[in-house]
Amino acid sequence: MSEKIIEIKSIAKKFGLFEAVKDVSFHVNQGDVFGFLGPNGAGKSTTIRCMLSLIKPDSGSIEIFGKSIFTHRNDILARTGSIIEKPDFYKYLSAYRNLEIFSRLFRLSPSKQEIYKMLDFVGLGGREKDKFSGFSHGMKQRLGIAQTLLHNPDLIVLDEPTTGLDPQGIIDIRNLILRLKNEQHKTVILSSHNLAEIEIICNRMVIINKGVSVVEGEVNALMNHEDLVVRLEVSDKEKAKSVIRLSFPQNKITDINEFSLEISIEKSMISELNKDLVNAGIGIYSIEAKRKLEDYFIKMVNA
Amino acid sequence: MIFLRSIYNEVIKIALKPRSYLGIAAITALVGVILFALKSDGMSIISFVTSSFEQTLSFEGNVLNGNLVAFIILQMLIVQIPLLIALVTGDLVSGEAAMGTIRMLLTQPISRTQLLLSKFIAGGIYTLIVIIWLGFMSVIMGKLLFGSGDLMVLNSDGLVILQEADVNWRYLGGFLVAFLALFTVSSLSICLSCFTDNSIGPIVTTMSIILLFTIIGTLDVHVFDSVRPLLLTTHMASWRSFFEDPLPILDIKNSILILLIHNVLLISISIYVFNKKDITA
Repeated sequence: MSEKIIEIKSIAKKFGLFEAVKDVSFHVNQGDVFGFLGPNGAGKSTTIRCMLSLIKPDSGSIEIFGKSIFTHRNDILARTGSIIEKPDFYKYLSAYRNLEIFSRLFRLSPSKQEIYKMLDFVGLGGREKDKFSGFSHGMKQRLGIAQTLLHNPDLIVLDEPTTGLDPQGIIDIRNLILRLKNEQHKTVILSSHNLAEIEIICNRMVIINKGVSVVEGEVNALMNHEDLVVRLEVSDKEKAKSVIRLSFPQNKITDINEFSLEISIEKSMISELNKDLVNAGIGIYSIEAKRKLEDYFIKMVNA
Repeated sequence: MIFLRSIYNEVIKIALKPRSYLGIAAITALVGVILFALKSDGMSIISFVTSSFEQTLSFEGNVLNGNLVAFIILQMLIVQIPLLIALVTGDLVSGEAAMGTIRMLLTQPISRTQLLLSKFIAGGIYTLIVIIWLGFMSVIMGKLLFGSGDLMVLNSDGLVILQEADVNWRYLGGFLVAFLALFTVSSLSICLSCFTDNSIGPIVTTMSIILLFTIIGTLDVHVFDSVRPLLLTTHMASWRSFFEDPLPILDIKNSILILLIHNVLLISISIYVFNKKDITA
């Protein structure tokens, strides 16, 4: 069994009368890429801030690397890299100078060459001396990631790291996270609204809603309990519906447009469905499994 | 070690912020204007002051010398310097919140207390640089342009004439007390900066407090008699005590003590508030 890197138990936080977090508990194992999901205002940001000691929870416990964040803050933060919400740097300083300032407080502060290498690594090579105020949103995100990785942390907390990035940037960050996990065995917490991203990258996840952790576990295990939603584009929609009703009378069918419909079905039954439709002489133009996590997320949040 | 690095970081941030040079530029411009005015028509100003004594005293030698020029400059500018100090130190904490860098700063492995103390020290270093520059512009430039000589000071007890050889150490002492007073202004603005995420608020509030205290200090109303000796602004003028003869040592010690107590209180409140603060910005 993997070592627990983070263990959060029943944290709660009120701001005045507003309960931002009511009861959030989850754990993250060594080497996990852990998805942190929830709708806007669910308490994700407050929870992450509590983990990083930016906000002190009213109750509950937070242990990271086996130590309480309340008593071993500096030891924990020395091994943690993070971007919270959006990376903000000093506007009047260059990319290089910003990284230099933020890395100086770590015990092993990186050399000038290491900073240049990191800037190059995140795609900001040649922009070292440019002021942060002139950076695009994507460049700011890249600089934030450089700052996060510069001191080689064991735990990386990324809050919406791909926001504002172009498609290539999103792919680069995704590949980077997978490399951090597979090659360097880093533990990554990824908070994102991009469910496809979470589904592709994360092995475990928690869903938070209205300040409460709703569900936590292995992404695949959670998904396998759920039916897939399959979208079919066929030559004769009405005939296809009749065939499906005969073969799968319990499954929900939804009309999409003149030629398309969706059916909720177990993954193993898709080939059976395909065979029945072909045998009935219905032309199948496309068959596409919709993202499961999206539906699962909506279901959990609306439950 | 990390504390020293944090102080270095804070000093670098101040040094690279364009706003920090406003104070230096303002002092240079203001002193430049005063020096130009005194060089052009200084004697007529001096004659206006000395004319009332001319029936009983005769003035010989270089009356309008560098020592007197420096004293006039300090007298005129010491009221404006707190604004220049607050302009930089007032957003040392709240400016981080306004920019969003406070999140990144407080996820570094340094305690909040150490981080805040490094800001106080950096604010102090900036204040010292401003004072040194003011000293250079007033005393050194004054002596270069007007030469040296005995210092003639008109205070509430009358005319005090201090010999040339007796002046330099008084300037040194005066600047040290002025530094302590301005460091207290820096502490006040950093303390106010801990309460808000708005970078302008603490600067305006610091100036408002100084203005209010100055008014209370100058109003000859008995109800303020017990408060007046405790006000920061009362002791901001204590640098002048070094130009009295005999030197009012007890008054100077009292001013230093009260300014130090102000600093201890302001720094303690700041540490308490900053450590309790939830970073939601």
